[in-house]
Amino acid sequence: MSARAAILARLQSPAPDASQAAALLGTPERPAVDATNLLSEFLARLALPSVNASHDVIASLTDLPAAIARYLADQHEPLTLCCPPDPRLDVCDWSAFTLHATAAPDETATLAIARTAIAETGSLIFETSPTAPMLPNFLTLHHIVLLPVAAIAAHLEDAPLPGPQPRAHYWITGVSGTTDIEGTYVRGAHGPRFLHVILLRDEFPHISDH
Amino acid sequence: MSSFTTRADAALADPILKIAVERTAGTAQAKRAIAIDAFPDFEAARTRAAAIKDHVIAHLGPYLEQFEANAIAAGAQVHWAQTADEACRIVIAICKAANAKTVARSKSMLGEEIGLPHALEEAGIGRVETDLAEHIIQLADERPSHIIWPAMHKTSEQVSALFKAKHRTPHEEETIAAMAQSARRELRGAMLGADVGISGANFLIADSGAVCTVTNEGNAELSLVPPRVHIVTAGIEKIVPSMPHAIHMLRMLARSATGAALTQYTTFYTGPKRPGDRDGPEEMHIVLVDNGRTKMREEGLAEMLRCIRCGACMNHCVVFRQIGGHAYGGTYPGPMGAVLTPALDGLAPNRDLAHACTLNGMCQQVCPVKIPLPTLLKGWREKSWREGLEPTSMRAGLSLWAWVATRPALYRLGTAIAIRAIRLLGRNGWIARLPLAGGWTRYRDLPKPAAQTFMNQYKQEQRK
Repeated sequence: MSARAAILARLQSPAPDASQAAALLGTPERPAVDATNLLSEFLARLALPSVNASHDVIASLTDLPAAIARYLADQHEPLTLCCPPDPRLDVCDWSAFTLHATAAPDETATLAIARTAIAETGSLIFETSPTAPMLPNFLTLHHIVLLPVAAIAAHLEDAPLPGPQPRAHYWITGVSGTTDIEGTYVRGAHGPRFLHVILLRDEFPHISDH
Repeated sequence: MSSFTTRADAALADPILKIAVERTAGTAQAKRAIAIDAFPDFEAARTRAAAIKDHVIAHLGPYLEQFEANAIAAGAQVHWAQTADEACRIVIAICKAANAKTVARSKSMLGEEIGLPHALEEAGIGRVETDLAEHIIQLADERPSHIIWPAMHKTSEQVSALFKAKHRTPHEEETIAAMAQSARRELRGAMLGADVGISGANFLIADSGAVCTVTNEGNAELSLVPPRVHIVTAGIEKIVPSMPHAIHMLRMLARSATGAALTQYTTFYTGPKRPGDRDGPEEMHIVLVDNGRTKMREEGLAEMLRCIRCGACMNHCVVFRQIGGHAYGGTYPGPMGAVLTPALDGLAPNRDLAHACTLNGMCQQVCPVKIPLPTLLKGWREKSWREGLEPTSMRAGLSLWAWVATRPALYRLGTAIAIRAIRLLGRNGWIARLPLAGGWTRYRDLPKPAAQTFMNQYKQEQRK
């Protein structure tokens, strides 16, 4: 008998119907979020010491390069950016920057576009796709994230996409941190040491509409 | 192998260990308390989390089949292992087929449980532990002493000395931040150069075939995205029906483990790289490991399969806080370890773990899935008694006590004499040395008993 058959033989039970599993959730207990004020709820979580992110607000997508330049200048970093190959960013004037699509092992700054964000926790939500690589967001020292204000949702249940799942669906809630030595918090353990969110007030097209 | 009592003795005699454990466990306990205070419905959420796990454990077979079908549809390969050895053999075979010289490992207690670090070493495959704490213990050639903070037993001074001896470009400044940077420098290249990435799973999502990992360091993603092959080893009890169920459990896990509302990095991996993707593994393998879990389910330990490995029980355990994790001897320390280790490694060599418990109930009170740990520990004590595993001295002592205790007059006389005798040894309210109880008084004092037994005091009160 295969291991699979042997294990399953010991675990025989009627298949649960989906309603049983759904009934277990009912109205799950979760931290309260003011749904009428998602932006300020989100910003409050973003500023918590556990999330430790800075932010900026821009009106239009064309303001994005200037906002990134401002941030990098404040950090005394050069205008070099690992930028995702997302056609929606083509409206921006990147002439002041040196752009590249593949992150170096010691990448300084990477831009990513969050599909949504969660006010409950201050999380930024991403998926992998041909226009959204994953690795640059973990290799970089400064993680710069573009987030349309209208995309902010209330609870973690709002994060996943319905239907078939992308290869990787991931939530980023702060910077790479560790408490592995004596429980003392240190930021920049392996990945980003800084997280900077640029909030876009204008409408932002969905990637599939582009 | 040394016995639990010898290991506990050694731990109690180590003053540095107690400082190290207290620093991290104390912080964890305080941070959890703040997080729970900020979540008023936590008690109801615990009940719900326990119900979700019980439902999954009752229907584990169908859920595993559903997970398998969805993972395969997403392009992953699913393997099944009944034992730890079988799981290791599967992982090594995948590594060899991939011609792997080095693997990057993201911390997984299941990996420790099945002995994967050792199996990789025996197969001649280089292993890079990428979690900072696992990196520390790999350098020190030690075992994890806690499931969330595997290097909890080490002080910063000890870590500093270790990094200075082993890192290529060690830190100069004596700060914890500088030590973490030294590890970052050391590990970054190793992670990017690995042929295979190996992780555990915090949750397996049945209705999508996704595997969820959580870390605060981001080392899982850095270990699992660059290599050509990603291998997941997961206990079969890690299943949840759907994403909303996983989300409920994640809210419980982060708060109970570190006191955060959520871990910094929470990732759901569904199959390997898709056409057009710029990164990600070409192959994804998921090894579903039983290793005693079906037996636990059959033999009265189903509640233990609720465990989501948060570590809250050990952070709050008065025994763990005194002896640290290594004294327990198994992969899992503290209260959850004392229940799991006899199931995984046999009761006879581990019978005394169930005795290393004051039954104060703290572990059950903080458990996010309400595992009745003290009851399960008592179950092991009873089984050990029934199977004749308790030593003769214990059996004789308890028989004598039972004989006296069932004769109330004799019992009262005996206790009245005993407390008088013990009081003679007291100095300033404390007893520093007690014949036949040296094991207790060597590391702590015993409070001097009251002048009268409880029964005498009670009778006097009644007479008033």
